[in-house]
Order: sequence, then structure tokens, then C-alpha cells
Amino acid sequence: MSSSYPAIIGVGRTKFGEHYEKGPEILIEEAWLKASESAGIERKNIEACYSSDYFLQLTNKIGIEEGFISEFSELHVPMEKTRSFSSALLNACNAVQSGKYGIVLVGGVEKMTDRWDKIRDDLMLLEDPWSYYAGCTPEANHELMLREYIKKYKISGKSLETLNLALAHIAVKNHHHARMNEYAQFQSEVSVDKVLKERLNARKSLGLYDFAPISDGATALILASSEIAKEYGDAPIWVVGSSSATDYITFPSRDDRTSFMASTIAMKSALKMADIDTKDIQLAEVYDQSTLLEMIALEDLSFSQRGKAWHHIYQSCKDYEGFYEIDGRRLFVNTNGGLKADGNPLGATGGAQVFEIVKQLRGEAGNRQVRSDSELRYGCVLELEGFGTKAYVHILARELK
Amino acid sequence: MSSEPIERRVSYIGDRLRGSQCSICGKEYFRTKDYCGKCGRKSFGKMEDIDFFYEKGKLEVCTVVREPTNKFTKLGPYIYGIISFHDGKARVPGRLTDCVLKDEEIDISVLEDREVVPRFRRRCAAGQSDIVPTISLAFSFADEYYPYQRHEITKPKKEYETPGIVGYGVYVSKFRIKEGAIERSIPFIDEDAITAAVEAGKMALLHAGVDPTHIGKVYVGSESNPYAVKPIASKVAQVLKLGEEEKLEGVQSVDAVDTEFACKAATSMFKDASALVYYPRAHIPYAMVVGTDNSQAAPRDELGGELDFFVGYGGSAFIFGMRDVIAEIEAWYSCTSDTPDFWRRDLEPYPRHGGRFTGDPAYFKHIQKAARRLMEKLRLQPSDIDYFVSHQPNVRFPIRVASELGFKEDQYSAGLQVAKFGNTYSGSSPIGLAAILDEAKPSERILIVSYGSGAGADAYCLMTTDQIREKRLRQKFTVKHQCESEHIEYVNYDTYRRFKLGL
Repeated sequence: MSSSYPAIIGVGRTKFGEHYEKGPEILIEEAWLKASESAGIERKNIEACYSSDYFLQLTNKIGIEEGFISEFSELHVPMEKTRSFSSALLNACNAVQSGKYGIVLVGGVEKMTDRWDKIRDDLMLLEDPWSYYAGCTPEANHELMLREYIKKYKISGKSLETLNLALAHIAVKNHHHARMNEYAQFQSEVSVDKVLKERLNARKSLGLYDFAPISDGATALILASSEIAKEYGDAPIWVVGSSSATDYITFPSRDDRTSFMASTIAMKSALKMADIDTKDIQLAEVYDQSTLLEMIALEDLSFSQRGKAWHHIYQSCKDYEGFYEIDGRRLFVNTNGGLKADGNPLGATGGAQVFEIVKQLRGEAGNRQVRSDSELRYGCVLELEGFGTKAYVHILARELK
Repeated sequence: MSSEPIERRVSYIGDRLRGSQCSICGKEYFRTKDYCGKCGRKSFGKMEDIDFFYEKGKLEVCTVVREPTNKFTKLGPYIYGIISFHDGKARVPGRLTDCVLKDEEIDISVLEDREVVPRFRRRCAAGQSDIVPTISLAFSFADEYYPYQRHEITKPKKEYETPGIVGYGVYVSKFRIKEGAIERSIPFIDEDAITAAVEAGKMALLHAGVDPTHIGKVYVGSESNPYAVKPIASKVAQVLKLGEEEKLEGVQSVDAVDTEFACKAATSMFKDASALVYYPRAHIPYAMVVGTDNSQAAPRDELGGELDFFVGYGGSAFIFGMRDVIAEIEAWYSCTSDTPDFWRRDLEPYPRHGGRFTGDPAYFKHIQKAARRLMEKLRLQPSDIDYFVSHQPNVRFPIRVASELGFKEDQYSAGLQVAKFGNTYSGSSPIGLAAILDEAKPSERILIVSYGSGAGADAYCLMTTDQIREKRLRQKFTVKHQCESEHIEYVNYDTYRRFKLGL
């Protein structure tokens, strides 16, 4: 079985942020060319393409995205479009593993700043229409989840202060990481005080610095079957776990609103597929659409026990050394700056997460290369669609068992 | 731009908060479902229709929304959260309405775990030519202005020989503007003539206790329908589930129609409703008449702006029938003349009126004619009448007309509500009537005379029955409560104009 794992043989991405002058097709072209170059493949080697964008057709009123890719790449191969990068990757893995294709291009793009005027309405409408009708905003669901969490675990007084500080530290930590990431949208440090001040300004428990921004960007990777991977790259990164799960679209109607059931399920099956344990994972790129979601992800992915992640975060961040320390083990989380600071161009986001794990596992992360006390072997990527409506988990490995 | 099919589907579910319950395991769903996810195949055909329209919910968690999405910006900051029904068996998203957040720290923990009641409101902003979006995922606290009341259908006890009022309801918003001696009700920003019609109808059903499926016709009188073409009555019929429901297609077996005759659009139909329930071959046990208006007035510095000192907002609903009647209709008299004292041309936002014309040749002439002719017909003297109520465009007119007809203050004071609510147009004299019914004893005679510009008047003589007392216990949301509640909120002129313009 293990010999049939697909491998990532090249990755590429654009800088995230506002690309006022560039259309989505220019961005995806840039990412694709970088990925192809890093893999050392030719255009003609590509047998199929899986691309993703969350709502480009709705926001930017463009035509069939695959047609753009065909036009600039002059490829006429099968192309499928999905909503998130992880979804494209999962489909590509299935196809490669089935033996259908040998080399596949996986790409993602989003151009959100083109529609400052209505992006939050579109986001909310796609996230959960009934909540939208009732007046919900993309940020409000995060606030409600935090309230549910606080009430469920009866957190008050000093503990509540610590929880709030822990969340602020997540933003600080992610900005810190992003400073070492040339592609990141934000390249400046923030302080805990600044995070707290923005919360005060907003008069909310989560403020400006608790949320990921609106971004433009594109990402791409080249996925190859195991035989081809051995021919090409010198350091293929194996996709040993690839899984997804789905939950109700209406957030209030979910039984537990302090976690994402989809993340938990996806992680379990990805671990099973990889035949490893949570403890084997040293790197994690999680979907921190807000600081809260990074904390929730630690619990959903079973790194921390339920109701305990904020302790681990707070303890680790008091004197941050580049990782969370959980039960004596080091876990490097969102070393690219996360969605918070690297940026969050929805359809491309997952590609940046995979990009980071690939770079770290290969030891090519430059000055942000993690300082691990053991050899880096496994990293995982959690990407969500909607507010936990869908969750994708991929486990990447430096070497096969 | 509105999508008609999407609006239809969202409103159909959202206006009434329709859901389903599995009769095997008891699981509840917001939104209708053909089967239960827990019980699977065996639950087909075993799902029961439920709805949360009359239910009490609990605000479980909430947050303040200060940066809403585009269609909610006019609301200003608001509270948004998750509401649970039936001890958490079902949960829905919801926004608190009727709530103006001051620019101060809000401790959301004191709002959480409080009981809330669904309110029928405009959902969000829409363009001038779009469909008006509505929803009942708006809530207010059950222990404040708008109380929770259990909806109970009771078996009729007594048949009457004369048709009459079986139940009634008044809905006036909690917001007021106070200028001088007069207080006026004003809509919250998400309210309009449609929402007041539904709320008033809901109150009438709560009071009457009649089976809504037995209501065969609903009339809605208004001169401020947000639509030039599209009835309010169809919304009232669908949301209140009047007449037998054909679930498969979402159709109610009821006749629904809007009427318009300035401020007498509703009272004019009292006789039609009574005649309909009396007509043996109609097989219509009950008919509902709603009068609703978000009374329009131009800003003060514009032509027609003098109305801006008097207009109110609200609705009233009366259910007519021949069982468990609380006030029998003894007789009526109506008169009409082509007097153009007040008008609003098509596509014009605000009405105009003819200055001096609205007095003697219009208001006084028609009301006095109708009242006198009805009293002659019944051979009654003013002293035979316990309560007199007329249309109330301001405080002066109704007092003067009452005096000129020979009524004393103790006869007309109970129905005189204009100083509390302003001129609620189609709801004006009906709200006065409701205030009288709230306190009348059995076997008392009421004379109500409405007035509609254009012009005409309807006079009705009503005689209360013994059942008026027992039914009174069913309604907490009385006219008096709506005048005197400690939760009434006063706003300034600018806020009033903003609310009035709506979403």
C-alpha cells in the first residue's frame, strides 16, 4: 500500500495580500510556473489539473476558470475545479493513487480584494445562509463559538483572562512567524497590547488582530505517482494521509458548537490512513481564520485535550520559543504565519499551508526553519470550508515508513 | 434584485419558523424534513409539522454586531445569537430586534439565558423595486414590552343569533416620540404595515382562541402597503395559517384581500365580515379584518409635512363570527361622498391634504351623518350609549365631534387613544374600539364611527356579551399595556424619521 502514496515534487506560490493590478489568471500562472520549475517538469508532462477557488465566479464574475488555465498553459488535459486547495489536492491524490494519472497540477487562487464592497456578504451567504438571513456576520460565528466554549468549560475570572491572553498570543506568534516569510501578507510584529487594544476598540472578545485578513493570492503544486516521484525530485514529500469530513451548514443546528466535528473526523481517518499517531506529527498548519480557530484546531486534531488547548498555548507563549509544548512534546504550528498573518485567499490558502509543510520537511524554510529536537518526519494540514462545514486533513511525510 | 422563488421559499419557512419533529424519537428540526436523520427510513411519513411562531425560546449565546453585512447596516449595532427552543431540542440563529444599543459597554452575559419571543419583521434591506424580505428570526425578550403568550385553541361554548366580534388584537411598537401633549407610536426600523398586520392578527388569534383553519376570509385595510401591487392579506393568511392548509403546495384555503379607503379601509369591512359569517351557505365560521398602517407623512418642512406631527404606527385585527361572541353587532350605517380632502397619487411617497377641507365638510360632516342616522335607525339617544369612539386624526377633532353629537367625556374618553399612539390611520378608530373592549362590562353599548378621507364614514353599534370577561384573561398585550408599559422607549425626531423610512 505504502508504495502507492502520491508525492509532492514541486510547490509554488505568490505573495499574499492585495494585488490590485493582477487578475486571478495572472496570479495562478505565476504560482504554477514556480511549482513546475521547482519540480523540474515540462508543461507537456502534466496529465490533469485540479484547481480551486472558493467563489471567484461569484465575486469576480469571471467565466469558467479552467478555460483561463487552458489558455495560458495551452493545455487541453482534464481539469476539475473545487472550492478549496485541499479539496483539489484530495481529488488529485485519489486520481494519482488510482493509477489514472502520473503527474497532476494542483492549483488554487482567490482575488478577494476586488470586491471589498460585498465580500463579507458573499462570505456569510456561502458560509451559512440562514444565519445570514438572521443578521450573522463572518466574525459573529467566531464570537458565538468562543461564548459557547467559555460557558461549556465554565471559564471565568482569572482563567478567562488567561484564555483571552492565550488567544492574543496566537496572533502575536503568527505575526512573528510571518516576519520570516517573504510571501506573507503581513511582515510586522504585533504585541499582545496591540491585540488587546483592538479588542477594546471593537468592544468585542475578538478584535481586528484576531481575524485573518481578506487576501489575493495563488498557490500550486505538482503531484506525482510514487514511481515518477522517485525519478524526478530529489526530495519528494509523500502525502500519506488525505481525508475530509462534512458537517451541517447551519452552525446553530450543530450539536456541539465548541468544536468542529468535521475536523475531528477528518483527522482520525487521515491518521488511520497514514498509520501513525497524533504524537508522530511535529508540524501543523491549521486553519486559523481567527485566533480562536487555531486554539479549537489543537483540540479537534487531538493535540490537546478538549477544553485544555488554551493552557498549552498560554504556557508555550509566555516565553515563545517557536513551538507549542504539549505534554512535553514540541508542536510547530502555523510557522508561515498562519491565515492570520500569511493571508487567507480562500481557494489558495491550503496551497500555502502545504507549501510551508513541504519546505519545513525538506529543510528549505530558510530563517524560519523550525528548531526540532528530533528529525522532522510528519506534518499535517487542516483546511476548512465555510465555518467548519467541511474539513480536510492531509498528512505529509518526509520519508515513507 | 430579488429572486422570487428564493424569497418565496425563505419566507415560507422563515416567517412562520416552520420545522419538523420525528414522532418516533422526538428530535426536532428547524426547517421541514421528510425523515429523521436519527431514525432513518422508518421515520418516513412519521414526521410532524411543528413551528416556533408562538413559542418561547432562550437566547443561549450572543454577541454584538457592530459591523454588519451590507443589507443590515441600517439597523445600527445589534445583538445576534443562537436561540434554542424546547430545552435545546432545536436551535436557530436570531437577532434581537426592538433594541437600540447605546454607545456603551454591553455585558452580553446578562442577556444570555433569557427567554425570547419570535417577532415577525423585515429581514434586511431591499431595493425600492424589490420584494420586501421578511422573517421571524428576530426576537425580543419575553419579559419586556411584548410578552410571551401561549397559543391555545379552545372549543366554542356558545352560539349566538347575531354575528359579532369573537376576538381582537392590537399591535403597536414599543417606540414612541413625545412632542408636547401627544405621544405617537413609531415603527422600529424593521417594521412596516405588513409586519404590524401580522402581529395584530397574531394577537387576535391569541385572544379569540379560535381554530385559525376556520377563518375563511381575511381583509387587510391599509393605505401604506409597501407594495402598490401585492396584497398584505396574502402574507397574513400564510404566516398565520388561516384556513385549511394544503401542505404539499403551501396553499391556504382562505380568501384574502386588501382594501383601501384612507382611514376606514378596515372598519368598512366589519359589515362584510359579519355578513359573510352570517350567510349560511358560505360555511365560513370566522372572518378576520385587519387595519394596519405605517402612517405616511412628508418631512415637516415639505408640502404635507403638517401631518408629521400626528402620524402613528400600528395595527388592529378583529375576528368576526357567531360563536363565543364578545360584542354583537346591532346595526350599521355607512355614508359616502366624493370629497377629495386627502389623497396620495400613485408613485408619490407622501399624502397631501386640502387644509381646511379636512374639517367641517369632510371629517365632521360624514361622522355626524353616519352616527346620527345609525342612532335614528335604532331609536337611540346619546344617553343610551355607554361608549363612543370615532376616527382620531388629532386630539381636537374626536372630542369636538363627540360633544356635538351629545356625548359626554365619560362616554368618549375610554376610546380616545390618539394622544398615546398618534393617528394610526386604518387602525385609528379600531384601536379605540379595542381599548373600550378591554374594559367594557357585559351588556354595554358601543358606538364606533370611522372616517375615511375621500370621503366616507362607517358607524357600528355593538352590544357586549357576558363572554367579554372570561376572554379578557387570554390577552396580556392590552391597549393599556401598550400605553403604559415601563419598556416603552422614547426616541428623538431624527431617530423617528430614520425608523419611519425603514430598512
